[in-house]
Amino acid sequence: MKEHIRKILEEALPLVDFDSDFLFSELDSLGVAAILMKLSDEYDIKLDASDATPMNLKNLDSLVSLVERKLSTR
Amino acid sequence: MMILGDYLARNASLYPDKPALVAGGESFSYSQLQCRVERRAEELRRSVASSSSRIVCLRALPSVEYIADYFAYQRLGFAVAPLAKDIPEEVFEAISAELSSHAVAEGTAEVLYTTGTTGKSKGVIISHRTIIADAENLIHGQGFSHELAFVINGPLNHIGSLSKMYPVIMLGATMIIVDGLKDLDSFFGAFSYPAEKMATFLVPASIRILLQFCPERLAALADKIDFIETGAAAISQSDMEALCRLLPKSRLYNTYASTETGIVCTVDFNGGKCKAGCLGRPMPNSEIFITDKGTIACKGKTLMTGYLGDPQRTSSILRDGVLYTSDSGYIDEDGMLNLKGREDDVINVGGFKVSPLEVEDAAMSFEGVSDCICIPVPHPITGAAPKLLVSVKDGTEVDFRSLGRYLMTRLERHKVPLFYEKVDSVKRTFNGKPDRKFYLETHKTDIKTSK
Repeated sequence: MKEHIRKILEEALPLVDFDSDFLFSELDSLGVAAILMKLSDEYDIKLDASDATPMNLKNLDSLVSLVERKLSTR
Repeated sequence: MMILGDYLARNASLYPDKPALVAGGESFSYSQLQCRVERRAEELRRSVASSSSRIVCLRALPSVEYIADYFAYQRLGFAVAPLAKDIPEEVFEAISAELSSHAVAEGTAEVLYTTGTTGKSKGVIISHRTIIADAENLIHGQGFSHELAFVINGPLNHIGSLSKMYPVIMLGATMIIVDGLKDLDSFFGAFSYPAEKMATFLVPASIRILLQFCPERLAALADKIDFIETGAAAISQSDMEALCRLLPKSRLYNTYASTETGIVCTVDFNGGKCKAGCLGRPMPNSEIFITDKGTIACKGKTLMTGYLGDPQRTSSILRDGVLYTSDSGYIDEDGMLNLKGREDDVINVGGFKVSPLEVEDAAMSFEGVSDCICIPVPHPITGAAPKLLVSVKDGTEVDFRSLGRYLMTRLERHKVPLFYEKVDSVKRTFNGKPDRKFYLETHKTDIKTSK
């Protein structure tokens, strides 16, 4: 799942370094919105503003955890 | 004539304890803000005494320091050139150096940088008179009031957000500055401010984000939001209707404005006519008409004075008090302006203008790029996003992420292409210009790479 998420997010935001541990601070509001949109569409999960936290968007692993949590409570 | 700084000083006397500004979690009353401006002006007076230039560049940070500097420099007779908060240092220095060679006319308040079709940002000269005329238009057209608390969430070097400071200060109202929409909790938190009436300006891309990710939180503010203004880019019919449903009691304005024209027309699309592209009637200080070519022309006190140091370019669009835009439109049966599109190559990225030539010029200086063209492709949030098609020199490779990061050091962030594609060569017209029409046609449904 991690590599798939990396692939779709790099396609949407090719300039963002998804290996960074400071992902949230590298993103602007459009970048945050694009990530939430891509993950919602791809995994058919509901992501909203409350999910856009620095903790959830810290790095690729935290995004994977976010998707897994949402999938498990779907 | 009273200038905006005079209104600030007057309101510091009339309403000393009334909050003027909330920024960085701190509140500043009118008297505190005025004191800060006076203190800053005294500090600066000595350092600018020997300055030959009367224009100063400021980074438009969402902070009390920026607001105080804005008024302090104007108090000392300077024109302020606010630049994007994240503008690369090299570009900031280059603009500062260029500005220092120009003189500005008496009465100049601001030089706002905007994107043109020629690939180089233009300094638009805004007078104190224009600022007051914009403020009066907004007060009459949208009902700004002394009781209002206005949430500014956009860049304060852009007319969309900066212009909201004008009526707020003029009326002794309150402005709350938040740093964009990235932290949505901060944005929504601003609306817990204890004011009866609250308002904000949102570009259509921001409205899209709110509708997509937090419609319930927006709806919860239905009783608190007096009005929202949008503009700078086209908002879709479906987003207009969704916003009307969420905020049935709020006035929702769609506005026709630009750095060059000032704030010209507005319409409350929650008050009857809810039609995409409809931008309402001219406000009191403005007039509009449609030229024989079908483009929009504006008259009135809100127009720019001209482009800094470029009388030729100024006269190409501003003649005899009429400003001829590149926007095509028509006036409908109700006397309302309707926008059809633009007649030039400028790409509108969620309300921020991008000149393809400026992007191409910057990209051509990257090692390995032999030719390139920047085109708009569809984007689900911003409507359009810049994409760079790149032809690479024989025997070399270009890493697009490196190219993008290089462009970030040369351009404002919204101008850096989001998408890249390698092409064998860039098709050109018979006179050697990039064939934009061809690429617009071939990439207009470029959903695969842009969605």
